[in-house]
Amino acid sequence: MTDPSIPDPQAGGDGVLRAHAEDQYAAELAALADVDDRPRPPRWRLSPWAVTTYLLGGRLVDGTEISAKYVGPRRLIEIAVASLATDRALLLLGVPGTAKTWVSEHLAAAVSGSSTLVVQGTAGTAEESLRYGWNYARLLAEGPSRAALVESPVMRAMESGSLVRIEELTRIPADVQDALISILSEKSLPVPELDLEVQALAGFNVIATANNRDKGVNDLSSALKRRFNTLVLPLPDSLEQEVEIVRTRVAAIGRSLQLPADLESMSEIARVVQIFRELRSGVTLDQRTTVKSPSATLSTAEAISVMTNGSALAAHFGDGVVRADDVAASITGAVVKDPVQDRIVWQEYLETVVKDRPEWTDLYRACRELA
Amino acid sequence: MTTTRVEVLGIRHHGPGSARSLLGALDELEPEVLVIEGAPELDALVASAADANLVPPVAALAYAAETPRRAVFYPLAVFSPEWVALRWAAARGVPVRFADLPAAHVLAGDERAEVGRRTDPIGALAQAAGYDDAERWWEDAVEHRSGSSLESFAAIREAMAEVRAASDDEDDENLVREAAMRRVLRAVVKEGPARVAVVCGAYHAPALHPDAWPPATQDTKRLAGLPRTKVAVTWAPWTANRLALASGYGAGVRSPGWYQHLFVSWQQHDEVVTGWLSRVARALRDEGLDASPAGVVEATRMAEALAAVRARPSVGLSELSDATQTVLCGGSDLPLRLIDERLVIGEDLGRVPDTVPLTPLAQDLARLQRSLRVKPTASTSSITLDLRKEAQRERSVLLHRLRLLGVPWGRPTDAGRSTGTFKEAWDLRWEPELAVGLIEAGLYGTTVHEAAEAKLVEDAGSAPDLATLGRMVGECLTADLPRGLAAVVDTLAERTAHQHDVLALLEAIEPLARTQRYGDVRGADTRKVAGVLHIVVTRAAVGLRAACASLDDDAAAAMRRAVDAADRGVALVELASVTDPWRAAVLAVSADDRIHGLVAGRANRLLLDRGALGSDDVARRMSRRLSLGADAVAGAAWLDGFLEGDPLLLLHDPALLGLVDTWVAGAEESTFEDLLPLLRRTFSRFDAAARRQIGVRLRRPDAEHGPAPTDLDLDRGLPAALTVAEILGLARVDAS
Repeated sequence: MTDPSIPDPQAGGDGVLRAHAEDQYAAELAALADVDDRPRPPRWRLSPWAVTTYLLGGRLVDGTEISAKYVGPRRLIEIAVASLATDRALLLLGVPGTAKTWVSEHLAAAVSGSSTLVVQGTAGTAEESLRYGWNYARLLAEGPSRAALVESPVMRAMESGSLVRIEELTRIPADVQDALISILSEKSLPVPELDLEVQALAGFNVIATANNRDKGVNDLSSALKRRFNTLVLPLPDSLEQEVEIVRTRVAAIGRSLQLPADLESMSEIARVVQIFRELRSGVTLDQRTTVKSPSATLSTAEAISVMTNGSALAAHFGDGVVRADDVAASITGAVVKDPVQDRIVWQEYLETVVKDRPEWTDLYRACRELA
Repeated sequence: MTTTRVEVLGIRHHGPGSARSLLGALDELEPEVLVIEGAPELDALVASAADANLVPPVAALAYAAETPRRAVFYPLAVFSPEWVALRWAAARGVPVRFADLPAAHVLAGDERAEVGRRTDPIGALAQAAGYDDAERWWEDAVEHRSGSSLESFAAIREAMAEVRAASDDEDDENLVREAAMRRVLRAVVKEGPARVAVVCGAYHAPALHPDAWPPATQDTKRLAGLPRTKVAVTWAPWTANRLALASGYGAGVRSPGWYQHLFVSWQQHDEVVTGWLSRVARALRDEGLDASPAGVVEATRMAEALAAVRARPSVGLSELSDATQTVLCGGSDLPLRLIDERLVIGEDLGRVPDTVPLTPLAQDLARLQRSLRVKPTASTSSITLDLRKEAQRERSVLLHRLRLLGVPWGRPTDAGRSTGTFKEAWDLRWEPELAVGLIEAGLYGTTVHEAAEAKLVEDAGSAPDLATLGRMVGECLTADLPRGLAAVVDTLAERTAHQHDVLALLEAIEPLARTQRYGDVRGADTRKVAGVLHIVVTRAAVGLRAACASLDDDAAAAMRRAVDAADRGVALVELASVTDPWRAAVLAVSADDRIHGLVAGRANRLLLDRGALGSDDVARRMSRRLSLGADAVAGAAWLDGFLEGDPLLLLHDPALLGLVDTWVAGAEESTFEDLLPLLRRTFSRFDAAARRQIGVRLRRPDAEHGPAPTDLDLDRGLPAALTVAEILGLARVDAS
């Protein structure tokens, strides 16, 4: 569910490091638009069916192969698309590394043909980013005028009837978040200084993403929550899927960091992913032993960083092959976030699960040495 | 035969859409006789079907009279077409006949009766049409199509004939059953009614249509020579939850509550979607979750948009669940589980009138009472059972099982002065309300054994804490329920993993250890228990040190009791894999000066008693804990934990006694006043003789080993010493 594909450096051209989704997959979008004869909501580039197909992949009637942008349950993408079609805003929740941003970018690219209307939420995001600001030089020179107004991405999306993305909504201070309430319910944005009002065109909608692990950062008020359809993106279903995601990502990161570690024979990946999955789900893979879950997230993203760490250790201090010793420290570090409770959880896991697996003796020993 | 019109109405078992169409068809046809799919033995139940006290969900139940364990259930809900047909006939006085392979044959087979292996052909048709909910397909494809319900049933029959023609795996069982159904039909037709309606699973419809009847002789041949057994029938109360079980009619339904909602909404011409979401919102509000009317409106729009995205002509349960989760539950699936339990499955409990025949469970009990020779009497009678004797042990097992089932016919009383575990005393008294309990218990199974086991398994799943589960492990042993034991132990294993509370883990150790040690006597499989015990001890050992940190006095007292109990349990099993981690954990606790004295003192005593710690080490620790620099009250607590139990320790180890004495003597007067109540409590637990001896010893510290024997009469003592030596098995040394 983390995006499995590495952006193709050739696509997009012009030597940019990372092309926008709508540029990178322009051919697929065009092919979909060609065969798509189903009804489209106002100002949608594609029908809901075609948007779903674009995200989940498939083969079109004319033989074009659409790559899967999201690997996971079909119903989630269907719910997301249906939400956008009902003019209710969509909130994608999930732990880090569940492809929230990736999905929102591709949804915007497929629905509105552009993924560039985006507000990055930070603790310093001001109301101007959601409503409008002023070009002060002009304001002083000419007085308040439409030309002196600096429109936010949200305002531009309202005027053009397209999707706007708000990343990390819960990082935005609560009083700034509140600016969204009237935009979402009345679909209009008044500019009292100029005595005018921008009314959203049909097709306007908001996709927000938020991390549901960071409790209490700036929790959404219930008034705002009520205006969103909430969709929780889960972690990958199967071990194989997750191992594959970790493998491709670690390979990509390793290349960019120029780590010569031997990636093909990285059997440690399967082990790390298995440990994380078992601790996360609270039960071993064979469903026989229940284990406690630590307070840490242990998402796919964490498995990726443990493996990257391990391959860096192996490359610089070992013979390039990642072994139990290289990952033990970072696994322990990833699992034990709370020094008291998590340590018990981890020790219990070591004693009741890892110890009983004969082929894991090396890992058990490596972890015991650290404990 | 030419004068009789036979209409075959192929329905979907438990299909509310079918039930609704069926009502229309019956009103249209007005049959003089109604034939329903089901074992012909069920005819005996038709009369009671009209009783207003028979409230679905109920199950028509056919069971082998000799072995009630073997039974076929035909569960019926309000929305089941068979139920609708039964009630329709009862209201109009139309005779009903059941047609299927007689249960007498089904239950006579070698294996356990398995009639649930039926397909859902209408579900297959619906799936082919792109529906995941066959009921929505029925509504769209059948209900909204034609004016006449009879015509739509004819269309279904033709479609099903195509389905059957396409698949050539006619299985033998179906052919025999259909032959049996036709045999009943022929008998009905012979009586010459003008119109007959046949209500059967859609799959059988083509084979039962009069045009398709083979010669009667062919059917007779097929039915010849089947084994038979004596069968009894009755109604049993059922629950919505159990409708999901596969037995009798079809493969069970996963969403009885939803089906009931569909059926009732259709009957009352209500909106299905908004009606459902309003009920969802109300259920959420009952649980204190926000669900505003505006949210219901949004959820309705969302469900409709989803159906459009999925290219479905109407909203189904999956769209409603998705819309509920996204709009009303903030993406969380926890409230959705509540909705599943409350609404999608439902919490309905069926009722049967008092007049129906005895349930198989009651019959099984009567049989057991006869064979074990214990009569139910209205007055109290006391019995004492010797568990070493087979027959008496079986009685004890029966009484324990009945208690588990909520039928406390016997109450255990004190077995008298005997300390042995092989004796049990019971007060027996049969009260009328126990019969009611027996009917309720009938939900769990058809025999006392089976029902007790099923109830135990269910209770294990909903047990609130580890202590309850630990107790249930014991109950499994006394009631001789090995399968129940397996389930309880599994649940226990799972719970211990989620249990962050070391105290609860410690408390689970003793009952488990007891089971492992003594379970063999009752023939239970103790390997699994051993596995769980191992895990529990390991987990408790890992967490013990942390759990003992920063305890207040009350918590420390509870922890000391738990550690004591756990240690008793560990001592029972004597397995290195269990003992070693435990000892190591206790050792860590005993050596830590920051741990509350009650617990640390106790840990030291346990290790001393088990020989894991030398008395020198202990003396050093005691001296450290009782030294002047340390807090005196904490020292008293340590002493309290250490000294609890046998006082002989102080009498036989003068070094320890000396330490205590010096410490008390050296305490400042103000400190001593604080110490006094604590010390008094510690020492008052010893009996008077021990206290006196300690006092004597302290008054004469020079006496090394107790009051020195001054005038021993060796000759008088010799015989006693010899006898003791013999008991101990010591070799006799020549007196010279």
